[in-house]
Amino acid sequence: MLLQFVINGLITGLLYSLLAIGFALVYNTTKIFHLAAAGLYVVAAYIFYSAVSIFHLPLFAGALVAVAATMGVSLLVDVLVYRPLSKRQSSVNVSLISAVGVLTILVNLVVLVYGNAPKVVENSLKSTYTFGHLILSQPQVWQAVIGLLSVAAFVAFIHYTSWGKRFRALSDDEVLYTTLGYNVNQTRTIVFLLSGAFVAISSCLNVYEVGMDPNMGMNILINALAAMIIGGIGRFEACILGGLTLGLVQSLVLMQLPSSWQTGVTFLILMLFLFFRPQGIAGYKQRTV
Amino acid sequence: MNYFLHIIVLLNIYIILILGANMTVGMAGLLTLCQAAFYGIGAYIGTMLLMQFDLPFIVIALIVSVITGVFSLLISYASLKLKNDYFTLATLGFQMIIFTILYNWVDVTKGPYGISGIPAIKILGLWSLKGVVPYAIFTAVVMCAMVGIFVALKKSPYGRLLRAIRADETAVKALGRNTSAAKTRAFFLSAAFSGIAGLLYASYVRFIDPTSFTLNESLFIICALFIGGVGNAKGSIAGALFVVILPELLRFIGLPDAVAAPLREIIYGLALVVIMFVRPQGMLGEEMSK
Repeated sequence: MLLQFVINGLITGLLYSLLAIGFALVYNTTKIFHLAAAGLYVVAAYIFYSAVSIFHLPLFAGALVAVAATMGVSLLVDVLVYRPLSKRQSSVNVSLISAVGVLTILVNLVVLVYGNAPKVVENSLKSTYTFGHLILSQPQVWQAVIGLLSVAAFVAFIHYTSWGKRFRALSDDEVLYTTLGYNVNQTRTIVFLLSGAFVAISSCLNVYEVGMDPNMGMNILINALAAMIIGGIGRFEACILGGLTLGLVQSLVLMQLPSSWQTGVTFLILMLFLFFRPQGIAGYKQRTV
Repeated sequence: MNYFLHIIVLLNIYIILILGANMTVGMAGLLTLCQAAFYGIGAYIGTMLLMQFDLPFIVIALIVSVITGVFSLLISYASLKLKNDYFTLATLGFQMIIFTILYNWVDVTKGPYGISGIPAIKILGLWSLKGVVPYAIFTAVVMCAMVGIFVALKKSPYGRLLRAIRADETAVKALGRNTSAAKTRAFFLSAAFSGIAGLLYASYVRFIDPTSFTLNESLFIICALFIGGVGNAKGSIAGALFVVILPELLRFIGLPDAVAAPLREIIYGLALVVIMFVRPQGMLGEEMSK
């Protein structure tokens, strides 16, 4: 029984990790409080739904279409909204309000096309696998496998290509980064493409199991935000640790309390971290705190 | 006519809410995402007082202000320990926790079922407000009083101190001012404003449930504040007019029914982005120094 909760929690946590990576890529490098990620999450889910349920693509092809399209929308958000604002050196508040504007637009475009009713990707009973006492559904197995592969790919990308270093350099000091001859816009393009991809992967994996509605984005994003802080702001890989920790704790709380308390407990943990360990489990010590 | 007056009541309530946000976000420059939590606390405490005791409005309003103010001490404590984004995230956490409590503590708040049959406000303990006309007048009076308090505070030495903190907290500290005490008072006042707005809302609508006091509502209030412009009362009024009147005006341009609601929201979202591009300081805001 305990093992079941642990595994369920870790798999949910993996999905938080992926979304947290998507958020942190933008937040760390551009300092924009990227609430529009919640909108991208919803957009990805509905593109996945259309591809599979309306155009009858196979699951994988549908997911690929969704990931590619979300990468495009993510880049579009940066080019049309965030980049011009950064160029004017707008304050954090201004970019936050614009992000809320983008979020509102994206979510309501989805409502306009698909309506408010919940949707499921495939209306069929999913098979389950039994390993001893452990029962995993087919979507959970996909979540675990694809989630782990994506996370591994991300860690490899950050460690074994120069981009990881460049992202960190851009986070530290944009002016210096430009002065040293790096192209900020080009780096941002990569950041937003990658961010869109991770948001979309997290979204597709999640909605394949539980379905979707246009207002789900914000709720999941704040969990990912909590995961990012618990892991440690500023370090990309910390999102993974934070997501897994949060998923695990939430799942163990579910053993004791009704699920409607889950959000409260999540944010209680978040507060404890903010007050007693603001750098998170593995983040850099921040001088400003 | 009643429809028009209903909009006026909502407008008055939102002006008070946005002024409350302006106190911390605008004057002291501390971005909070928990205004709706104080709004909710005010609404629930106000409801309980209205249902249990037969007290005049002014007494209930005072009790509500003090209790929401006491809750604000938690946020003040966070603001002393955390800076910038970390502080904002802590307020987001506070918002979520308060919402979860309102939603789950069914014995006291009736949780998702909400509380209905909230009695009307009594002025001076004898004249109880009935119908939309007295409420429109009464909320307008309260709103004007709040605007008066806000303007007086802004012009006072205390208001200048808050704006100095917004500009450069370290410099203010170096000049020997107690910035922590100033911020604590700002949070207290901000929470009290929101609490009174909650009380007015609860007794006007006569039904409350936790879904009126979500994170989205907090974001909505902050957006309205920034659209109108921070730092002065006229900005808050402009912001409230914008977010309350715009959706109503869009009703009249004859959008097809099926798409009206999402289209209105899309126009609102576009307006947010456009205003931030054209006037980053908001419609009537003060020019902020970076």
